Amino acid sequence: MMKVLIVDDSAVMRKVIIRELLKIGVEQANIQEAPDGLVGLEVASQESFDLILMDWNMPGMLGIDVVRQLRTAGIKTPIMMVTTEGEKTNVVTAIQAGANNYLVKPFTPDDFAAKVAQSTATKV
Amino acid sequence: MMMMMMNATGQGTNMIDAKLVNTVMQAVMEVCGTMAGTQVTLKEVIPTLDYKPIGDISSVIGISGEQGEGMLTLSFTEPMAGLLVGRLLGMAPEEITSEDMCDGIGELVNMVSGRAKTSLSEDSGSLYRLSLPSIIKGPGHEIGGRPKNCPFLFLVFEAEGHSFILQVTFRHF
Repeated sequence: MMKVLIVDDSAVMRKVIIRELLKIGVEQANIQEAPDGLVGLEVASQESFDLILMDWNMPGMLGIDVVRQLRTAGIKTPIMMVTTEGEKTNVVTAIQAGANNYLVKPFTPDDFAAKVAQSTATKV
Repeated sequence: MMMMMMNATGQGTNMIDAKLVNTVMQAVMEVCGTMAGTQVTLKEVIPTLDYKPIGDISSVIGISGEQGEGMLTLSFTEPMAGLLVGRLLGMAPEEITSEDMCDGIGELVNMVSGRAKTSLSEDSGSLYRLSLPSIIKGPGHEIGGRPKNCPFLFLVFEAEGHSFILQVTFRHF
């Protein structure tokens, strides 16, 4: 069963993402939340996940910096950015940093499900 | 570049870029439709001479660019905010906490800002930069630090019997 970590400083957005994950069959018990980049880095470094969903703009540590640190530490969990930063330069930056996929908010439930499926099918 | 021309100060012609306004307007409609499942229509556009405090909760986004600086403010009544955040969360408005209301409006406006920023960057390079939104709550709230002596555009949006206001201003250097 897929285990997912959501790193987002918005509690509302975490709830929205959890709802979408439940719709595609992820069990609530297999979803963990981190309210900022620092906590996300700590949790992702200590536990194994099948997918990390990462916001970009967060207090303390930007999501892109968390991605860089996780990859530097050798953690190969697929990471999908879920962010309002939709400019092409940001997408390129995220992929270069080690993100596997990129979903721009606003997104439809179908977009979300398709990107999650793509992300979990890729390996770093 | 198409411009909306308004002589608001009497000291020359101030202009609000129609592309900026149209892009933000489209972003508002897209975000409300996609994330909150709410069809929003533009009801009215009113040029004015200053910001007006409206509604119970506002989110403010700063605009900066090569040609000047400005501000976007989205203001909602509590029922309107409750409708949108409730749809976003899949909850009834009365179930939403005050904290989630602010967070939800901030997140929706953050998406509007991000969507507009992406469109503006694709259309016109890096002409405008938009800040992350800040939230101000309370009836009759005021926005400090706003541009002075600039024309404002009020865009009145309507959704399911409620309305909300987008106020846009831009001061050229």
